[in-house]
Amino acid sequence: MAKLWTVIKREFLERVRTKWFIIVTVFGPVFFGVIMVLPAYLSVKGMKDVKVADIRIIDATGTGLGDRVATRLGGGPMGDASGTQVVVVEPAKLAEAESTATLDVMHKSRRGYLVLDSLTISRHKASYAGRNASSLSEIQIIENALHSALLGQRLEKEGLDPKRVEALTRVKVDMNAERITDSGRGGSGIGSAIFGFIIAFLLYMMIVLYGQNILRGVLEEKTTRVAEVIVSSVSTDILLAGKVIGVGAVGLLQQAVWLASGAAFYHFRSQIFVSLGMPAMPNFPLPQVPPMLIVALVLFFILGYGLYAALFAAVGAMVSSQEDANQAAQPVVMLLVFSIIFAQPVMLNPTGRLAEIVSWIPFSAPVIMPLRMSAISVPWYELTATLAGVALTCALCVWLSARIYRVGLLMYGKRPSLREVARWIRQS
Amino acid sequence: MSDLALELRGITKRFAEHVAVRELSLQVPRGSVYGLLGPNGAGKTTTIRMILNVIAPDSGSITLLGQPNTSPGLLDRLGYLPEERGLYKKMQVRRLLRFLAELKGVDAKTADRRITEWLERLSLRSPEKDWGLAKVDELSRGMQQKVQFIGTLLHDPEVIILDEPFSGLDPINAQALKDTVVDLKRAGKTVVFSTHLMDNAERLCDSVCIVARGEKVLDGTVSGVKSEHNKRNIALALAGAPSDDVSAILADHSLVSRMDDNNRYFEIEMAASGNPQLLLQRLVGAGAEVQRFELIQPSLHQIFLDKVGAAGVEEGMSGHG
Repeated sequence: MAKLWTVIKREFLERVRTKWFIIVTVFGPVFFGVIMVLPAYLSVKGMKDVKVADIRIIDATGTGLGDRVATRLGGGPMGDASGTQVVVVEPAKLAEAESTATLDVMHKSRRGYLVLDSLTISRHKASYAGRNASSLSEIQIIENALHSALLGQRLEKEGLDPKRVEALTRVKVDMNAERITDSGRGGSGIGSAIFGFIIAFLLYMMIVLYGQNILRGVLEEKTTRVAEVIVSSVSTDILLAGKVIGVGAVGLLQQAVWLASGAAFYHFRSQIFVSLGMPAMPNFPLPQVPPMLIVALVLFFILGYGLYAALFAAVGAMVSSQEDANQAAQPVVMLLVFSIIFAQPVMLNPTGRLAEIVSWIPFSAPVIMPLRMSAISVPWYELTATLAGVALTCALCVWLSARIYRVGLLMYGKRPSLREVARWIRQS
Repeated sequence: MSDLALELRGITKRFAEHVAVRELSLQVPRGSVYGLLGPNGAGKTTTIRMILNVIAPDSGSITLLGQPNTSPGLLDRLGYLPEERGLYKKMQVRRLLRFLAELKGVDAKTADRRITEWLERLSLRSPEKDWGLAKVDELSRGMQQKVQFIGTLLHDPEVIILDEPFSGLDPINAQALKDTVVDLKRAGKTVVFSTHLMDNAERLCDSVCIVARGEKVLDGTVSGVKSEHNKRNIALALAGAPSDDVSAILADHSLVSRMDDNNRYFEIEMAASGNPQLLLQRLVGAGAEVQRFELIQPSLHQIFLDKVGAAGVEEGMSGHG
């Protein structure tokens, strides 16, 4: 056991010491944070400041509707409506104003123009022309502003106080979608979907990154012939176990850092969003996860990693060069890709037949099951059975890999055929 | 305690296409330097891997230091330098050596002390430069070989197994290796090494075992092997071309089993029952003018060639020794 510890220690420390590890571990969260925040940031910034409000409103209604729209585009009475230019014209000069505006848009001094006339008041019809006419979200914003301005105007006509109108028409809808399971209401639907997706994604990342890492490690030992010395000190079983555990620990450390920074991001999300000048993120509470579920998740995590780590190690032991390794790893990678391909359909329909089938397959269960478990409450017998299936497959893979590894580690030369590998398994 | 460091009894190992080692038995006395000689593909590396319990023989038994070689902890008393040498390239030399030592059950503190000693002894560490702090791939090939050698000896093993230790060594490192082997023997260690370089074996070994095609051809002490072959070879030089009578005598298979005919110069291998004195008498009796008639001490190299010959190298075998 002391030797197992020595192997684990080396695998762990040598990897944690590399620049690659430090960069990925530290900058991973930063990178993901930027990826998550940046689009929202850019769209919020862009819509408010530059794009949408930067239009000309040609108001031929004679009712001041144009100013109302501009106010709403600028963010309400407290906002800044100066980004929008309102031109009040006689209905007779509408055509002339429109052609001037078209030229201005062509010369890029404005993004577009909105035409309001008597039809807008009577039949609620308006027209917009501009460079961004195909952007649905921007048109939606202009439409909303117009809708709310019209509504305000009509209410005022009925004798309501303008301030009250302003207060009444500024309604912000924030719909909270809650999930109902067999055991009752629990947490937010979005929250648990994200939670499930994070678990599935973490496992997938872990397997892809560290499974390949194990493959490279085994290959390095083979190609540099270090294995020759090592096996004179420890059995190949201990070497394999130490490698899988050590590399797994590296992955866990990295995931822990990532999860911790994710939690920190969640905790300080309001401050972060506010400091970027964005509206605070909608509040989605983390789902309530029963302890049994966490145990099941951790088991899926460990067994899933162990299963694929063993397969990658076997591939590494089979081949003698990086090129061969890439080819020989294809089937294992395909199994993984197969799991992640089904992630989206399963998330959309977690109770469907497809979701059930792929969560019964031991090779995709570790990725798919956390997804399903976060979306629906999977019956305990199904959970136990799939876990047992994964555990059994994991044990089988480890057993097979250990045998392939034992023989393959000291074999060089051309890649063995399947028949030869079968013989390795028999003879060792 | 057994006076044998290593004993192989009837070891056989089959792979799919061929028998790598067949019924091999040998005994290595404690404190001796033992050579396992044979051409490439003779089964040397397979034999060594079986001794190291990396692969199991199909039949036969291996006793190491008086115990079956599968006994737990026994490998810690063994040092092994593989033919195919290599180290973790990205690892710091000192950390790598500590790792290798810990794998053999040496605690970190002892390992550190010995690493410093060895690095200094093999001039990898001086007040100006400590290569122990460098990464393996910053070292020259020769230095890497030294590091590998340190790794083999760091846990002060009782039995040291060197597989083709001289291959790829420059003359300076080769000499250092020979010196170390002699030192190890003086310190009471047992050294077993495989080689196909007979000159090195002849000078270094107390005993040898020659294998070919997975089978033992002969074994014994170097002096024993040589004296056994001592009187079997004769160098014969005649003043002129041999007469018919002389040729007839040389073709007599009760006397001569094999002859290398160079017209006036002959290398003669005596038949098992042949008597060199009788041969000389008959040659002189037939009127041959003998210029030279000498019982020659065959070198290990000659014995090896005689015993194994070109046929000893099996075709199509990879370099698994």
